[in-house]
Amino acid sequence: MAPIDGQGLKKLVEAGLTWLRANQQMVNALNVFPVPDGDTGTNMVLTMQSAFNEIDNLGHRGIGQMAAAVSQGALMGARGNSGVILSQLWRGFARTLHDQELMDGPALVRALAEARDTAYKGVVRPVEGTILTVAKDVAAAAAQAVQVTEDICEILAQVVLEADASVQRTPDLLPVLKQAGVVDSGGKGLYFILEGMLRFIHGEPLDTPLATVQPLSAMNLENTMESIEPGQDYEVVVDFVPRETLDLQKFYSGLEKIGTSIQVGEGEGMYRMHIHVLTEKRYEPIDYVLSLGTITKIAMENLVAQMEAKGQKSSGVRLELAPVEPGKIAVVSVSPGVGISRVFASLGVAAIVQGGQTMNPSTKDILDAFENLPTDKIIILPNNKNIILAAEQARDVTVKKVHVVPSRSIPQGLAAMMHLNPDGDADAVAAKMAKAIEEVTTVEVTTATRTVDIDGVSVEQGQVIALVNGKLAVSAATVEEACLGALSQAHADEYELITFFHGEGLPIMETNRIVDVVRLKYPDQEIELQDGGQPHYQFIISIE
Amino acid sequence: MGKETTTLGTIHISPNALATIAYHATLTSYGVVDLAPKNLAEGIAATLTKEPAHGVAVHYSGEEIDIDVHIIIEYGTRITSVADSVANAVRFQVEKALGMPIHHVNVHVQGLHVSDSK
Repeated sequence: MAPIDGQGLKKLVEAGLTWLRANQQMVNALNVFPVPDGDTGTNMVLTMQSAFNEIDNLGHRGIGQMAAAVSQGALMGARGNSGVILSQLWRGFARTLHDQELMDGPALVRALAEARDTAYKGVVRPVEGTILTVAKDVAAAAAQAVQVTEDICEILAQVVLEADASVQRTPDLLPVLKQAGVVDSGGKGLYFILEGMLRFIHGEPLDTPLATVQPLSAMNLENTMESIEPGQDYEVVVDFVPRETLDLQKFYSGLEKIGTSIQVGEGEGMYRMHIHVLTEKRYEPIDYVLSLGTITKIAMENLVAQMEAKGQKSSGVRLELAPVEPGKIAVVSVSPGVGISRVFASLGVAAIVQGGQTMNPSTKDILDAFENLPTDKIIILPNNKNIILAAEQARDVTVKKVHVVPSRSIPQGLAAMMHLNPDGDADAVAAKMAKAIEEVTTVEVTTATRTVDIDGVSVEQGQVIALVNGKLAVSAATVEEACLGALSQAHADEYELITFFHGEGLPIMETNRIVDVVRLKYPDQEIELQDGGQPHYQFIISIE
Repeated sequence: MGKETTTLGTIHISPNALATIAYHATLTSYGVVDLAPKNLAEGIAATLTKEPAHGVAVHYSGEEIDIDVHIIIEYGTRITSVADSVANAVRFQVEKALGMPIHHVNVHVQGLHVSDSK
């Protein structure tokens, strides 16, 4: 193959990007190191995209100038750890090609070596078993290959081969990968970029991800879509037994002519195919599969109709927040669930910030709520002890006059709302609300996530626990036991009103049954049940 | 914070212990070539002693743990991305070891290091 010029490099970069993007989800799924946040593939794609954008409109250039532009683009768009390393690789790659018109085999080898050197300079303690290791192995493989041939295509083929082998070795170098049973995500991403380049040279398709089958149990066919794209009117799922061994690559390309969102699963000789198609094509996948084997089951769903139904449902739970007049006091409340938000709204809260246990809102979320209210007198109810600080920070940042009423639970927040007087003096109202939160007892019922021994109560993971005013009080086998235990510890019989807010996880039958048991046990108290919709907590109980 | 009460007694975790974890997380983070002394006094102290976690400061304030890291970044890398990765890595590693949430990880880029020969 002839040496590569600037335009040739542009095509290779585009091919690497396209192939990486086609396999982006696979790379994301591997991401466990250094932080398991599942974004390596996305970060690398964005970095490569930025590199390609830089050269997309460049006309005739020598390879040196073109590579410099790629390096510049990658630097500007570098995202995440792997993106930064990728940009360093490109920087080194471009450096040796400086001023040159063409890149031949030996020049490619020098560029890969410099890419490795530059990348390694960027870190004091390189961790092996990562994209750095793959870059190193790739450079070594190129140096070996050039002893045999100077043909750039053959060298690249050796490079891709070694990249694959090197990626497979990463779990031996980095124990955390081995524990998770994966190969390194950044290394795999680099492999896809190089492989994409080689596939382009060989004229192989780049836009379809590798045809993969997954175990049937891993197929996620739940309708989690928020919106549907054009061409996805129907979802068709077909179970079938192929007549002869299925040629996956051919099967995929046949399906691609019909629709999108293709998934294929396999288990015990049976296959399941999932596809999204246009209305007029909804029978085509069935005919196609029929030509390959015996169909055992077909499921077809009209996605458009489903989305419409979903839209109506979600608009049904619109909150009616209290209107705010300038100069009056407005209350911002943090709420973990739809039902609780509704109760707060009915009591006169002007703005809701989503949040609660394990999903603390950021200071900025709270600040935004302050800024959006057309008044400068604001009271905030954090309703969770972990959120009080964020609320105080937001108070310190905003120019508005904000009072934090340090409610540590939902019932405390609700009790405080009983004393809201929008026309009153903000200091006095806040003081009154703060006093009110002392007068309510809070019981929270949840499932223990680990085995502990706190406040003299021993808890095993998976048991139901109840907290009274934030202190662990009861551990029990069932929600019912936990509720009754906590109520008796809280001396519920000395109060007047017990309000249950049931969470999203508990079936409604079970909820009603437990509340009825409580009604029998506490005949003198008024018992109320409200749909709280909060996660994690089966019940939040207010006793006052 | 930095302390946990068990039935046997109290466990105190010194800021220095956390600083060491943060220090190692930072040094293995891509794009970081060194940590920088927080100020002149620490700079002088660092030349005299071999402190395991120079360039890292851990503060406890009430319930909160804040970590400040002072780093020197390789010239030619995207500074915001590197700093972001450092913050993520430090938070993840310290929280994993400690089992408690970290409030803030502040990354201070004290300088750039040019290792290019050309």
